[in-house]
Amino acid sequence: MILSGVVMLLLPHLATAETWYVKKSSTKLQAEASARSKVLGKLQKGTPVKVEKKSRKFFQVSTGGKTGWIFRFKLSKKAPAQKQGDGDMLGTLGGSQKMAARESASGSSIRGLSPVSEEHARKKGATPESIQAVKDMENFKVRSEELDRFLQTGKLGEYSQ
Amino acid sequence: MRKNNLKIFGVSFFCLSVLGLSLWVAPSHAFNLDRFLKDVEKSTQPQPKPKQEELDITVEEPKSPPPPEPQQSTGNDGMIGLGQSLGIFDKKTSKILKQSVNTLQALQPIAYKEEKAIGGRLAVEVFSRYGGAYNDPKLLHYINLVGQAVADVSTRPDIDYHFAILNTELPNAFATPGGYVFVSIGLLRMLENEAQLAGVLAHEVAHISQKHALQTLGRSRSLQGISALTLTAMDKNPGLFDKLIDEVSNVLFTKGLDKNLEFEADRYGREFAYRMGYYPGGLQNFIRKLGTSKAGGSSIFMSTHPSTGERYNRLKKTWSRYKKASLYPVLGKRFFSVFKKPGKS
Repeated sequence: MILSGVVMLLLPHLATAETWYVKKSSTKLQAEASARSKVLGKLQKGTPVKVEKKSRKFFQVSTGGKTGWIFRFKLSKKAPAQKQGDGDMLGTLGGSQKMAARESASGSSIRGLSPVSEEHARKKGATPESIQAVKDMENFKVRSEELDRFLQTGKLGEYSQ
Repeated sequence: MRKNNLKIFGVSFFCLSVLGLSLWVAPSHAFNLDRFLKDVEKSTQPQPKPKQEELDITVEEPKSPPPPEPQQSTGNDGMIGLGQSLGIFDKKTSKILKQSVNTLQALQPIAYKEEKAIGGRLAVEVFSRYGGAYNDPKLLHYINLVGQAVADVSTRPDIDYHFAILNTELPNAFATPGGYVFVSIGLLRMLENEAQLAGVLAHEVAHISQKHALQTLGRSRSLQGISALTLTAMDKNPGLFDKLIDEVSNVLFTKGLDKNLEFEADRYGREFAYRMGYYPGGLQNFIRKLGTSKAGGSSIFMSTHPSTGERYNRLKKTWSRYKKASLYPVLGKRFFSVFKKPGKS
């Protein structure tokens, strides 16, 4: 009697789906376990999702009242740091595993070669061409639709067989 | 009567519960010096390394040498020393408090903004040292597509990655902190397909996603004692930025990273390419080719990396984890449709 009570108490806990987190903003939630299926919505970085089912490439998840599928490598078991740039591993200068107390601003404000870097490069005699090359490199963008088409034609990522 | 008894029982039960609860809760709110000191002591102990994101396969932890001990405080005892001399803290308490202050001073993680400033400055250096930018917009676009694809399934997909081609015939590839990846035209000429390119770019992405250069910087003896690496601090003290850039330049362009970090980048790089759906043997096949080529011998790849034989053998050891690897595409045709080797139409 007591044992069955304990089992009854534990059952809901055991049945709880795993929580995973979205690694990057604009991650697609799709209607089926296929990259060609309808996009139900786009999720922001750090969104927790309950994993209902796992297939080789896609996880069926539920979040915010919606259920859909996400390419599995867009998800992480560990909640990502909310500040941009720390990825799955926190900054470790000096061996510390703690998040920087003076964390930088959001990613949108970190664009282009920093004035400190540019000034230092000039002082050390770097040519204007080398400085411009870094700026060009930073300005070169690949649009998400282009990348999606590239993956599709190469049968890569969520489009892989 | 029975109703009254029930009421009395109920009220008594409630009072006893409240009393019991308050006795249980009260000590946890009271200040406890012993517990405080234990907490402080605990916070000064080395923290366990956080788990990397779990990969499909088991990735060994890098066996890098431990960071040097933080420098001992030299005469900055301040209030703690005063507290001890006035008898407010005993010797043991003072020691624990001093240790915790020293630890906090030594362990300031670097933020993304500063990481990007260091990486951007080093990116200028890469262009200066290795032939400048190679001008081929179509090829550059292709490199960015492959690079972005593997970065998206890396352990750090949430930063901007930038990819460039260097105008040098020596087969080289670099990564500087904050997301800058370079591959030379000489290296591209050695590749046989897109899976190899994905493996090489993913190796460089792994250096950034695992913050290898920053880890190395954190262990640098010449930077010990510097606690605040903010852009404001660097702006006020140009010598500090100088020191940082010299240190990382020396590692990236001369000494090379710790070889265990290179092995780690190989393992993670192969994994990222595989996640993206490429044949996962691309990187190791390129490493083998590099080892046998004449051009490879004069590359910085050879002087700053462990031997190609050792890298290849290490990757081969864990190859059996990639079941059905041969079913994954290498995309040779697509590679050569964009990258025309001399003599190929």
